[in-house]
Amino acid sequence: MPKILAIEDDPDMLLALRMSLEANGYEMVAATTAREGLRKVKEVEPDLIILDVMLETTTAGFQASLQLRNPDPESEYAAYRHIPILMLTAIHTTTSLRLGPNEAYLPVDDFVDKPVDPDVLLEKVRTLIERSY
Amino acid sequence: MDLEQVLACLTDGARQVLQADAATVCLLDEGGAHLTVAAVSGLPAALLRVGAGSPRPYMVEHSPLNGEALTGQPVIVADTRADPRAANVPGDYRSVLCVPLMHEDDPVGTLHVYAAVPQRFDEEDAVLLMSLAGLGAVAIAAIRLVLSLSKQLTAMKALEASKAHFIHVATHELRSPVAVAQSLMRGVLKGYAGELADEQAELFNRINRRLNFLESLINDLLDLAAGKAPELAEEEGPVLLNASVGRAMLFLQPRAEEKGLDMTLQSHRDRLIVWGTEDGLDRIFVNLMSNAVKYTPSGGAITVSVRRVEGQAQVEVTDTGIGIPEEAFSHMFEEFYRAPNAKAMDEVGTGLGLAIVKDLVDRYSGHIEVESKVGQGSTFTVTFPTLVGW
Repeated sequence: MPKILAIEDDPDMLLALRMSLEANGYEMVAATTAREGLRKVKEVEPDLIILDVMLETTTAGFQASLQLRNPDPESEYAAYRHIPILMLTAIHTTTSLRLGPNEAYLPVDDFVDKPVDPDVLLEKVRTLIERSY
Repeated sequence: MDLEQVLACLTDGARQVLQADAATVCLLDEGGAHLTVAAVSGLPAALLRVGAGSPRPYMVEHSPLNGEALTGQPVIVADTRADPRAANVPGDYRSVLCVPLMHEDDPVGTLHVYAAVPQRFDEEDAVLLMSLAGLGAVAIAAIRLVLSLSKQLTAMKALEASKAHFIHVATHELRSPVAVAQSLMRGVLKGYAGELADEQAELFNRINRRLNFLESLINDLLDLAAGKAPELAEEEGPVLLNASVGRAMLFLQPRAEEKGLDMTLQSHRDRLIVWGTEDGLDRIFVNLMSNAVKYTPSGGAITVSVRRVEGQAQVEVTDTGIGIPEEAFSHMFEEFYRAPNAKAMDEVGTGLGLAIVKDLVDRYSGHIEVESKVGQGSTFTVTFPTLVGW
């Protein structure tokens, strides 16, 4: 059963993610801060990370993604760099037209908009996990 | 030019024209009971307590010379030593001519010229100084008006900005819980929290629709607030109009197809550069095109054209939709207004889309026009000045 680590500070949003993921054969582990999330990456070794942008600070999610994708081979997260990251965003219609994952800007693999649509979420999760194997 | 400069011109000018030794201007306060020396020429400033701190106002009734002049008449003092009205004249001046500064029949102050010798000023001088004082009074009134207007403008801008900031913060706080509720509701509707009975599904669908409406209302308010608070908006600059229309087209085309609408783009080959922000322009065209998609029954057509017209960039969005009734024309750009036929067709609209479009078009010095017939369709034409040399 693929394991997904969801790093998100809103317990109800975690519940919404858990509902959709567990009903579709995934195991979900939750973390509510970027710090806890980074610790659980090592503990759980998930197949995918779902990461919120605003956590303990307004950019803690961005910071966490930068740490996880640090290109330095000596980085403490070097062994976890291959884990796909799906970022949760709250950017609505217009701006999402132009915002796409970009190595230089934001090292994540894809975005999913809040409010989360289960079909969209599950499709992205499936694609990213398949791609990483 | 500020008030100080105008008053300096006035005193220097009066001295020159009348070949006097000194000149002063006193301004009346709002209540009309106090005068303050506001400018001097040819006099030691210290004598009038000008310059060293602010000059002290004095009562009009303690100055017979000023008091008389403020009734609207020039006052000639032939010899200060023989005239009791000249008790407060500074220095050793022997002749004084004092005229009122009148603006539209109201005195705003007095203008004085002084000479060291007695018998220096006559009636002709008085007429000359009166006409100079008339010009001075107009200039003073004009500058005071500008000052009070700019104060009001600053206060209005501050109010507008704080209002917009409040809306911005409030909407951010509102969006988050609504997005969470929607996410939960969508999972429930998919049956991931257990199978739903028909009646439950129907009720949850209703809740879901209301949440979706709330989401679009909040997003629209956020856009409107962002547009109205300059410090929150992306910095304006030259933007490629064709690209913005293209992005909006990409965004809306799938929805048009889903609904069975024929949506086409006729784009000018020229690069049309206009002044604005990418987000703002995207928003304008997404709003106009999504209205076209929303209010055109399936089987209809939407044509978007981009062209250069008389040196301006023009985008036209034409649909074969339900049209806009005449009574709605004067209201359609108002916040929260929705035309009756639009309301009847779709319950989700917020009535903010066109208000946002209008607000943004105005900000970018553009122009929007609408032609429409109920049952036949609508054409929205947006025109922007193009930038050359970018």
